[in-house]
Amino acid sequence: MPEEALENKMVIKDLSMYYTDFKAIEDVTFDVPARRITALIGPSGCGKSTLVRCLNRMNDLIEGVRVEGEVVLDSENVYQQGFDTIGLRRRVGMVFQRPNPFPKSIYENVAYGPKLVGIKDKEELDFIVEDSLKKAALWHEVKTILRESGQNLSGGQQQRLCIARVIAVQPEVILFDEPCSAIDPVATQLIEDLMAELKENFTMVIVTHNMQQAARVSDFTAFMLVQEQGQPGRLIEYGDTNTMFTNPSDERTERYITGRFG
Amino acid sequence: MKGSRADKAATVVFWALGLVTIALLAFIIIEILARGFLTAINPKFFLGKPEAIKAGGGIFPMIISSLYLAALTILISLPIAIGAAIYMAEYAKKGRLNNFIRFCLDSLATLPSIVFGLFGLALFVIYFRWSYCLLAGAFTLAILNLPILLRSTEEAIKLVPNTYREASMCLGASRWTTIRQVVIPTALPGIMTSTILPIGRIMGESAAIVYTTGLFIRNIPISPFDTAAPLAGYIWYAQSEALVPDYRQIVNGGAALLLIIVFAIYFLARWAGNRYQQTKLLGPKMK
Repeated sequence: MPEEALENKMVIKDLSMYYTDFKAIEDVTFDVPARRITALIGPSGCGKSTLVRCLNRMNDLIEGVRVEGEVVLDSENVYQQGFDTIGLRRRVGMVFQRPNPFPKSIYENVAYGPKLVGIKDKEELDFIVEDSLKKAALWHEVKTILRESGQNLSGGQQQRLCIARVIAVQPEVILFDEPCSAIDPVATQLIEDLMAELKENFTMVIVTHNMQQAARVSDFTAFMLVQEQGQPGRLIEYGDTNTMFTNPSDERTERYITGRFG
Repeated sequence: MKGSRADKAATVVFWALGLVTIALLAFIIIEILARGFLTAINPKFFLGKPEAIKAGGGIFPMIISSLYLAALTILISLPIAIGAAIYMAEYAKKGRLNNFIRFCLDSLATLPSIVFGLFGLALFVIYFRWSYCLLAGAFTLAILNLPILLRSTEEAIKLVPNTYREASMCLGASRWTTIRQVVIPTALPGIMTSTILPIGRIMGESAAIVYTTGLFIRNIPISPFDTAAPLAGYIWYAQSEALVPDYRQIVNGGAALLLIIVFAIYFLARWAGNRYQQTKLLGPKMK
């Protein structure tokens, strides 16, 4: 792969997050390079899901959550006063742990986002739906059943439908919160292949507790850890995925990667 | 061994209790239909005008009164219930105000319906000078039904998985858009069910309407300000006060008819709910 200069799509600076008084994550700093996949790994409860939800301010929806530090998207801090969170979530989409298609048709699921921004033209919507489903590698499986409920699909198909639904909004960044933890290995493979393809156009962040997955799909890896019960999750190491997995600089990273805890 | 015996005993007991419940219900339904079904399906009865003194009167205006009253009541209470349920389920923060509202609703739900009837009489019939009319009855029943309607609507909204809300917000929908586009459509079949059950209660309620809507009419009520005589109230009236010699037949036929109408509405609503789920939620065809 020819080396191009990496620009950072997002920069996380000294990010801490509290649930009322409890500090869930502390002083996390790392970069999310554009059109690359950044993996967040770490044992359960280390705050990686919490962290990824800070990137599109989904944590705002939970009562009592407070954030310190900065999340910079294209040189703008998304936590600055008056920042448009709805616009932010259009630019930074999210795929969840469990596939969560709406109880609507496959078509309506994908058209939901575009309709929100006022696209009403039937032909334009048809095009977006087809295009998004193609990009999510689902079109050929569903093109004859677009009117059927998205919830009738298999788990893996549902997850790709959710990816298509996000793609339809044309975000700049897609966050994946353990996208394969509820689906089988074959479907997982499909989604990993899909992510590799999407890299051309999108910046992605994937939370996973599956280290092989992180090693397979990501370009950069951030390792998080809670040192002791009750302490906040901290970033232990961040770097190029190859380096992290072959030659980690922190002993704790090495122990985690080699499967000695977590 | 002891465990399995206890298990068997429990199975028998619960089976028996279930059977008793079903038998009781079946007995009531069969009894009502056996006494009144033939009268109820006689067109002269269900399409006829009531008589004040002579035998052979029908109950058509009463049927219209009941349906009219139920429609008005739902029209008044449903928007309030849905609005309040959205507030309670989606916006209200846990705390004192929320607990207080719940306490008020629960208290309201336990009041005997005659209390609502007298309240309706004092406020709508006398103070507002509406006299005995459909609207007075509808407002009275709306208040009577609000707690149950609100609670069940709230439950229907709460059953919508949070992941739908998150997915919608993540696609750039505002909270209100999410409620409108995802939460309410998903909850709608549940909301419809929770609306239908009170309709049965509205149609069957007599204590709250005898003082607000009226007991006897000969002509079909047209305006909401017309006096009306809903079926349940008229059954009570015919049984206890009417001068017609065939009052027994009217009571039996009226009861059977009331049962049939409530069942019909219930199944119609279930059918409509399922249809809605199949068509509306699945959207338009693609070329």
